[in-house]
Amino acid sequence: MNDDGSHSLEISQMRKSFGPNQVLKGIDLTVGKGEFVGLMGPNGAGKSTLIKILAGVYEASSGTIRLGGSAVRSLADSPDVGFIHQDLGLVDWLSIVENLSLGTPPKRLFGPILNKRAEREEARRALNRVGLKLPVDMLVGDLTPGEKTLVAVARVFDRGAKILVIDETTSTLPPAEANRVIRSLSAAAESGATVIMVTHKLSEILDASNRVLVLIDGELVHDTPTRGLDRASLVRMLMQHEAAGPGADSLAAGRSAGEGIIELRDVWLGKLGPVNLRLNAEEVVGLSGLPGSGLHDIAFAVNGNLAPDSGEVIPLRPGLKRALVPPHRESQGGFSTLTVRENMSVSALPRWRRIGRLIDPRRERSECADIAGELSVKPRSIDTPFDVLSGGNKQKVIFGRALLRQPDVFVLCEPTRGVDVQTRSEIYRLIRELTAKGAAVLVASSDAEDLFSVCDRVALVEDGRLQPLRHVSELTASELELMV
Amino acid sequence: MVNTATATKPPASEETAEVASQQSSLVRRKLIDSSITVVVFLGLFVAFGLWLGKVFLNVDGRMLDVHQNVPIMLLGVAVLVTLVPGMFDLSVAGVATLSCFLTIGLTVREGWPFPVVLLVALGLGMAVGLVNGFLIERFKVNAFIATLGTGGICTGASAVYSGGTYVGPLPGGPQLPHWFVNLAAFSSKAPSWLMAVCILLAGVTLFLRLDSVRPPSWPQNRWIAVKTVALAVIAVVLVFGFQAHQWLSAVSWIIFFLLVMALVLSVLLQHTTFGRHLQAIGSNRSAALLAGVKVRRQVMKSFVLGGFIASVSGVVLAAGQGSAAPDVAASFLLPAFAAAFLSTVVLSEGRFTVPGTIIGGIFVVWVGQAFVLGGVDPTWIPVVNGVVLVGAVALSTAMRARR
Ligand SMILES: Nc1ncnc2c1ncn2[C@@H]1O[C@H](COP(=O)(O)OP(=O)(O)O)[C@@H](O)[C@H]1O
Ligand SMILES: [Mg+2]
Repeated sequence: MNDDGSHSLEISQMRKSFGPNQVLKGIDLTVGKGEFVGLMGPNGAGKSTLIKILAGVYEASSGTIRLGGSAVRSLADSPDVGFIHQDLGLVDWLSIVENLSLGTPPKRLFGPILNKRAEREEARRALNRVGLKLPVDMLVGDLTPGEKTLVAVARVFDRGAKILVIDETTSTLPPAEANRVIRSLSAAAESGATVIMVTHKLSEILDASNRVLVLIDGELVHDTPTRGLDRASLVRMLMQHEAAGPGADSLAAGRSAGEGIIELRDVWLGKLGPVNLRLNAEEVVGLSGLPGSGLHDIAFAVNGNLAPDSGEVIPLRPGLKRALVPPHRESQGGFSTLTVRENMSVSALPRWRRIGRLIDPRRERSECADIAGELSVKPRSIDTPFDVLSGGNKQKVIFGRALLRQPDVFVLCEPTRGVDVQTRSEIYRLIRELTAKGAAVLVASSDAEDLFSVCDRVALVEDGRLQPLRHVSELTASELELMV
Repeated sequence: MVNTATATKPPASEETAEVASQQSSLVRRKLIDSSITVVVFLGLFVAFGLWLGKVFLNVDGRMLDVHQNVPIMLLGVAVLVTLVPGMFDLSVAGVATLSCFLTIGLTVREGWPFPVVLLVALGLGMAVGLVNGFLIERFKVNAFIATLGTGGICTGASAVYSGGTYVGPLPGGPQLPHWFVNLAAFSSKAPSWLMAVCILLAGVTLFLRLDSVRPPSWPQNRWIAVKTVALAVIAVVLVFGFQAHQWLSAVSWIIFFLLVMALVLSVLLQHTTFGRHLQAIGSNRSAALLAGVKVRRQVMKSFVLGGFIASVSGVVLAAGQGSAAPDVAASFLLPAFAAAFLSTVVLSEGRFTVPGTIIGGIFVVWVGQAFVLGGVDPTWIPVVNGVVLVGAVALSTAMRARR
């Protein structure tokens, strides 16, 4: 890379422990001007911790950070560096221009009178840079998630950042929107900015980055140019055990489904309908669609959380039990003030009741610990507070909650959102195990890989309609990619 | 600087050691977090002791404070039950006032049979709780407003019933049953055999519960030996340092009753589906709903339970005072909330707990009493209570932010 040393970032021997838990074990890394670095690694590997140290949120236990040759404590105060965390830090009820000028010195006409024209002009230029064509007076709350991310990117560049550090911002975006973000980031890198981005999406790494770092258990185990890598080799770098190949193992093509378990008949949900859908035992049905298509509304209706405006949701089994993995794990999934155990057991408590309706603590503990072990939730203690888990581990805990309930129907929204490659294949394996044991599974996901890795029949929710279900084996991969 | 080292899974033994050390650090943090507040509590107690000497360090006197303030602590637990799912119940003081009036009035004025009176007084609390629950969960009335309203109605109704004055037994008229009034006297102590049984049970429970802080590397017999020694040391310190036997012999029936209520409610919150669902609702209501918790129903149940405990508090108040004065329980609301919020910093990681509320209640009562004994005018007590409430909330918020 053409490193002029002016804003190169140098990290050496960085270590970080939380109590006895060593999260970073001596990271050495130099990033030069114009590089687009993709940082990958399993959930809990320490990626966010590394970034939070750079951002000055945590202090490293030891090690040094150098920016442009001089040692700094963190990059937080440097105008050359901008951070975008998963929480974008935008204010929904302010307009784009107001968000962009927040925290920057105000432009004044004279005295206390602000120069609105100059602010708007500058906002327009900043939006142009990231390829957003939007009126700068729009409220940020009215933007799509991808547009919000782009506004956050624009704001960082607007403040003069030449190094951009991004933590898993794209993992919650639908593919089309994520692509927009990635494209504007690569454009920035081409014009000389440095980008360091955490992501789990292989395609993003392959399309945009020119260097891949793989962090596993707090150590940088791979640091290679992206050129010449393909999907398979990336996966190999990420997998700790080669044997557990990713979702590539073939699905049971043409396997026959079991008896019907639940049926939606002529269901209308707002403008979406009529939805006719029957879930059978031993079968995985996948639905996909854009945000706002009502994809997750169908899932909520199947789980009984959303009453249809008309039509019927008919359980075909008496005492039907359902369990849901909601699409947004922080706001809809986790109980951040409770422990991992309490998060997992909440849907299964009646099963452990004994005399006097008291919960048998031993059975609760052992069943929770078993599932947490099977999903390799880290840290391993089930008494850990939920809010210190990394994002992917939170997802595992919420998946574990659904498993513990032992339902007839699993309704899984975005089951692999933000999880690493290995956990992803583990979740796919579990889903297949569930169907083998006779459960029905509905996967509502905007991730094409979920559909072709684990589903038997799939359909798209589009233009207010549920398209007919088709067997995955009849579709080609490119058709599937196009679907989403 | 291409690093091609391949990642390998750490060997099994290393992994278990890692888990073990993680667990013991968690345990250590828990112990430190929860002991800080206990140390503060003891420190204040010692400070008051140094300041006031024998006037404050007086077992009978302090136990009398606790005894007289059992209704406040019951109200603390009553608001706790709805605070856990994130709701505020301001009606508890009104409910306690009205059930106090009903207990006295229906007996001495209307001459109703006492068991019926008790049923009506307690049923009233549950009915008000049900109304609160309905208003909040069915009609989406803001919890503050709904309970402020129903509480006002209860206080008002008791004033209407009494004509705005005091209601008490008249000479020659029907009286409160003797056993009822006697039971509430400070001089009727729980028998010593009962206390002995309780101590034994508490010791055994503690002995078993200590296992959760066991360092994983220790062998069984070493652990049991250490545990036994630790418990013995605690017992010796309690007896010789704090005169535990004197405290125990000063436990009145009413205090004993409070402890039993606390135990039952604590088990209810920790070990039943209802209690665990309430905690989930308090943590993230929409997640609880999606996880299959019947949110509205559980919240309504918690209001009914809270109303029930509030009316129990009113009945205890009636027994203790033998008569009912207008607005008897109005001044209890502030210390009750202070006690409940103190529970989030006492012996817990930012959660509302029943034992914490009792300890918090005792704290509130003793701090107030110490100022009175030190010569401060009793009219200052609400000021002190206000400071404690705001301080407790600020402290618990700060503790949560630190984590
Ligand atoms: N504030 C914290 N206190 C204790 N442990 C933490 C804290 N933050 C992160 N950890 C632990 O550090 C490890 C790495 O987490 P993180 O950096 O978030 O992983 P990821 O690579 O998925 O972003 C995890 O085991 C996590 O539980
Ligand atoms: Mg992370």
